[in-house]
Amino acid sequence: MIPDRIIEQGTLTSNGSRSSVEVRIPWYRALPGSCIAGATLSIDGIPADPGSVRWGMNGKEFTFDELRDNTDEWWFPLDSAVLSGDVPAAADGSEHTVDVDLTLYIPYIVISENEVLHIEEHDTKTMKAVNA
Amino acid sequence: MTETLGTPIQGVTLYSFTRASHQREYDLEALIRKVAADGYGPGLEIIGFSSFRGFPAIDDSFAGWFKDLVAEVGLTQTSLAVNADIGIHRDRLLDQDELIEYMRLQIEAAAKLGFPIARVQISLTPDSMEQLAPIAEKNDVTLALEVHADQYASHPRILALRDRYEKVGSPRLAFTADWGATVTGFAPSLLEAYRRRGASEDLLAQVVDLWNGYYAEGPPANQQVHGQRFGSFIGLAARNGRPELGIDFAINGTGLFGPARVEDWLEIMPWVRHVHGKFFGIDENHEEPSVPVRDLVKLLVENGYSGAISSEYEGWHWNHWQSPFDIIRDEQAVQRSAASNAGSRMITDNAEAKRVLAAHLAAPVPHLN
Repeated sequence: MIPDRIIEQGTLTSNGSRSSVEVRIPWYRALPGSCIAGATLSIDGIPADPGSVRWGMNGKEFTFDELRDNTDEWWFPLDSAVLSGDVPAAADGSEHTVDVDLTLYIPYIVISENEVLHIEEHDTKTMKAVNA
Repeated sequence: MTETLGTPIQGVTLYSFTRASHQREYDLEALIRKVAADGYGPGLEIIGFSSFRGFPAIDDSFAGWFKDLVAEVGLTQTSLAVNADIGIHRDRLLDQDELIEYMRLQIEAAAKLGFPIARVQISLTPDSMEQLAPIAEKNDVTLALEVHADQYASHPRILALRDRYEKVGSPRLAFTADWGATVTGFAPSLLEAYRRRGASEDLLAQVVDLWNGYYAEGPPANQQVHGQRFGSFIGLAARNGRPELGIDFAINGTGLFGPARVEDWLEIMPWVRHVHGKFFGIDENHEEPSVPVRDLVKLLVENGYSGAISSEYEGWHWNHWQSPFDIIRDEQAVQRSAASNAGSRMITDNAEAKRVLAAHLAAPVPHLN
C-alpha cells in the first residue's frame, strides 16, 4: 500500500467556497467505482459537508452513492481522481493542511462468507491553494 | 527427486516495481525496456489490472504493439496475473456463472496478449477450476492458481484443488508456488520500517518472538488457527501501547510471512507450472535474510522444475529507502548461485527460455502416485 501518495502535492484548487484536490490510488491495481466506498476532504481541520463531496474520475463526476453499483468506470493506478467538496481554501499564498480519508474495497480478498477486505487509508499534506 | 535436474527460467514481475511505476517514473514501455536492458529477464510477468488500461478489454492494435515491444527487447512472456474479483459488487459476491464469465474474459485477454500462463487466485474453488479448464484449453492458457500465505501446499484447500486437477486431467490446470508460503523469519526490512515509525526494540523483539513461535508450530491447520494468530498480533500491539500497528503486524505476520517448510511444496510439485520468487529484502551480505531462496531454488532444480521464477519483490510496501532495482538484481544473483550450487543453472538466454518454457508447459499431465 502506498498511503503517502494519496494526496498529490500542489493540486489544491478553490473557488473560495468549494475546493478540490487530486488523489492517487494507494493500491497497485485498478479498482472499479463499486470498490471506492467513500472519501472525506478536510482543509485546515474543517471537513467538507459529506453531502457536497464528489468524486471525479475518467472525466466524469460521481457521488459515492452513484459509484456503489458502477463496475464500468475504473480507477487506473496511473490516473489522478479529483476529490471536491464545499470547504474553503483561500488562494492567498498561505499554506493549508489537507486531509483525505479513503475507503476502498479489495474485491478479490474474501474475508468471510459474504464479505471482502476493505482498507481505510489516510493522508495529510500541506500546500498552497490556487484559484479554480 | 527426479533424475533430470531442472533449469528454471530467470524472470521478474513488474509488480516488483510498483513504487516506480505508480510514481510515474517509468511507464509500461519504459519499464519493459529497463527490465530487458538491465537483465532482470528473460521471463516477464505482468498484472493485467495494474498495467493494461481498460483490462480485460484489449484491442488488437494494443496487443500487437505490446507483443512487438516484448519481441524487440528480447523478453519471454510468462504469466499474466489475473484476479478473481468475486466481491466486485459491494453488496454480494459474484454467482458462479458471473465468476466464470469474469475469468473467461481475462483468460482470453492473456491469450490475446501472448501470455501462456494466467495466474489465478485462491477464491476459485475446485468446481470453478474444473469449469474453467475447457476455456483454458481452448485458449491454450495454463491456469496457475497461486498458493500464497496464509495458504500452503499441504493446506486442505490446496490439496482439494490438487485432487480435483488429478481427476479432471487437464494439462491446463496448475499451481503457482509463491515463496511467501515458506518463509523462515519476520522480514528485517519490515522491522526497520516499524523502527522508523517509532516502534521500540522491545516491541519488535516481541513481534519476532511471536512469529518465531508460529514458525516452530508450523503453518495454521485451519482458518480458525489463522484467525487466532491474526488476532494475537493485534493484541500484542495493543498491549504495548501501539494499537495502530496491530493490523499491519497481523496482515504481514500471517499473510506475507507464511511459516510452512520448503519441503511442503512437494505435495503439489508436479502441478507447479509457475513460481513467484516472493522476497522482502537483501541484507549486507547480499542474501535474502528471511526467505530461504537457496533452499527453494535447490528444491525446484532437484525436482526437475524448468518453468519461470518471477522475482516478486514485496518489500516496496514499506521500504522507501532502498532502490528496488538494486535489491532485485541481488536476489536474482542469489537464485543463479543456488541453481549453480545444485548442479544446474538458471536460464537467462531469451531464445533458450522460450524453448524451455514451451516444453515445460507441454509436459504430461501429472498423476498422484
